Amino acid sequence: MKEPIPIAITGMGAISAIGNDVANHYSSLRSSNPGIGPITQVQTHHRGNLLVGEISMDNGALYDCLAIPAHEAYTRSTLLALVAVREALVNAGIDPADGYRTGLISATTVGGMDATETYYEDYLVSKSHQHFIPTHPSGYSTEQLARHIGVTEFVTTISTACSSAANAIMLGARMIKAGLLDRAIVGGTDCLSKFTINGFNALMIYTDSYCRPFDEHRNGLNLGEAAAYLVLESPELVKQRTQTPIAYLTGYGNANDAFHQTASSDDGEGAYLAMKQALKVANLDAADVDYINAHGTATPNNDLAEGQALLRIYGSVEAVPAFSSTKAFTGHTLAAAGAIEAVISILALQHQVVFPNLNFSQPITTLGIVPQTQLLPKKIDHVLSNSFGFGGNCSTLLFSNAHD
Amino acid sequence: MIKPIYVHGSGSISIQPTFEPGYCFDSILSFAQNPVPAYEPDYKALIPAMQLRRMNKSMRMAIFASRLALQQADRTAVDAIITGSGLGCLKDSERFVEALLAEEGQSLNPTPFIQSTHNMAAAAIALVLKCKGYNMTYVNNANSFESALLDGMVYLTEHPNDTMLLGGVDEAGERTTQFWDIAGYLKREVPTIPTPLEGAATPGEIAAEGATFFVVSGQPGARTYGKVTAVETSLETDDTVVLLSRFLQKNGLDADAIDAVFMGFNGDSRYDGIYRNLGHSLFPATLQLGFKHLLGEYDTVVASALAIALQLLNEQRIPSSLRLNDVEPKELKRILIYTQRRGKNHGLILVEQ
Repeated sequence: MKEPIPIAITGMGAISAIGNDVANHYSSLRSSNPGIGPITQVQTHHRGNLLVGEISMDNGALYDCLAIPAHEAYTRSTLLALVAVREALVNAGIDPADGYRTGLISATTVGGMDATETYYEDYLVSKSHQHFIPTHPSGYSTEQLARHIGVTEFVTTISTACSSAANAIMLGARMIKAGLLDRAIVGGTDCLSKFTINGFNALMIYTDSYCRPFDEHRNGLNLGEAAAYLVLESPELVKQRTQTPIAYLTGYGNANDAFHQTASSDDGEGAYLAMKQALKVANLDAADVDYINAHGTATPNNDLAEGQALLRIYGSVEAVPAFSSTKAFTGHTLAAAGAIEAVISILALQHQVVFPNLNFSQPITTLGIVPQTQLLPKKIDHVLSNSFGFGGNCSTLLFSNAHD
Repeated sequence: MIKPIYVHGSGSISIQPTFEPGYCFDSILSFAQNPVPAYEPDYKALIPAMQLRRMNKSMRMAIFASRLALQQADRTAVDAIITGSGLGCLKDSERFVEALLAEEGQSLNPTPFIQSTHNMAAAAIALVLKCKGYNMTYVNNANSFESALLDGMVYLTEHPNDTMLLGGVDEAGERTTQFWDIAGYLKREVPTIPTPLEGAATPGEIAAEGATFFVVSGQPGARTYGKVTAVETSLETDDTVVLLSRFLQKNGLDADAIDAVFMGFNGDSRYDGIYRNLGHSLFPATLQLGFKHLLGEYDTVVASALAIALQLLNEQRIPSSLRLNDVEPKELKRILIYTQRRGKNHGLILVEQ
């Protein structure tokens, strides 16, 4: 069998409720310091009764920190994305306009909905915010990002609900392997919005408290907001630049549950197929995985289906490696989840530590699997990260150690 | 490198009766309004009533067009599904925003929220076909379909024995149309289909909607209609002549190797000059064809141009309604499609027999 070509990861950037950069994510994860709290920014009826993973900087602070003129129209998802992309570029030590074929593949589900829902009536009667009208389409945010960082070669946007960023990362790797790009800036962004808070609340999968992934008594998710981006580079380019990768993206897979619009099948078929594929692409056995960063939204349905899929992959409760959902730290960040969890997976590889699954007390009776609840130092060569979304969209990424 | 992909069937819903068997733009529906809604089929012919009730317009159009493509390709299943949609399921998005603005705090119906998700059309196709394979949705403005097409080419290079459904879908939304009008995107003065071009063009687009899907694979088959050999997008460009010349050069072609060029003239006097300039510079002696003057403008309308191009390659005839000039090609073997929208999102698709 042909050895898989490792796609190098040379930089990453992240902003979420647990930190405005990667270093702060690591210290929050390390000290079990979650970012879930009351809603202070989104103007919603649910302030005071629902908890979110909110980024403390408001839009004004983000405009200032990014030096964006006040009269220009940037919605929050784009502002967050800019913060994370800039960090990733600095970390990788690259300028996208350096002549290599660099693509930008960004994921979002909210797009400019936060502006649309705020000015929905105002746009019709007042000129004061009409310059935000063009920001509605999801692709607009990616185009603003591309202009800011100087990507001209290839630009696209993916929206497959909560697996969006994982799919953006996967496309970057596939385009590099296909010889279409030398480098891809990949990831996702979603801010909190009334639209999504009310949507998940209407679906009755929003907890009235702190989410409890993989717990028998879990009763729903907390939404969060985040942006995270990775820089992927071809092995040849990394060699030329004499850049040391921070990790490798060795596997990826996407499958569809083809079961229900929102719910996962009982046996976690889509999740099972996605994990199988990722292992196959990486040419690894399930037993080679040292840590699983689970999707683990803490909805009754997701954690049951994902747990079933893990049991199908591993055969027994005992064989499942250390796993945790970090959603209790960040909240469920929708289109950004796959990217923020990619960053967390790479931090696990870099620091050789499994991050805890917070708020867990009792295993799901029908599964019996127990997530890692304390910080666990261990030898980690391969991390598997799951992201699943509405429409049965299931994606898995495999990150491997740079020392391999 | 990536390989060509072969098209075995297509299905299309648009503001013209493109879903009718054998339709090829010989008779054209006229409109004097903006936006123009899709000319819809009797969905029940191909979608069970029970399923239909729960589907929004994007899902209906996408599934019906997919069913037509599958029929033409004589297939009942595929291994993967890729869609492009610039704006996703707009009406459900609007419905949910309106509900939460009116009655936030009361119990909201979650269905419009679920069905506002951009990947609902791809998911609905997967659900009805029980397709557990790769499922992807691109939402990149007017390059959404081209992104889907490019991913399709990469996927079929990776999986040479697979077959997939690939398409584009966009629906119009009432409030969103008002917003686009405020933003100055839409034509206000005498919006008509067919849209007057060139000297008679006025500022603005005519908003429309539709869905076009294809059954494609990495191998030619008994019912192959043609192949897509290259696709490229560019967010912005200083010089479209250079962009196209480079694209042709990369594919080892001269301008005279192109038998016909589809261009996205939509009658917006502010941007049609891009096409005119290109026609004069690169394709003065090439058959030039249009399609947006008959189909209106939406992010994934270029998928229709691909369907028409394949039809022309097979029928070897040129409906006069599509013609922008009188050039008679010796034969139709290779067609180039070039579009942009409001001066950005340039897309190039090379189609061959």
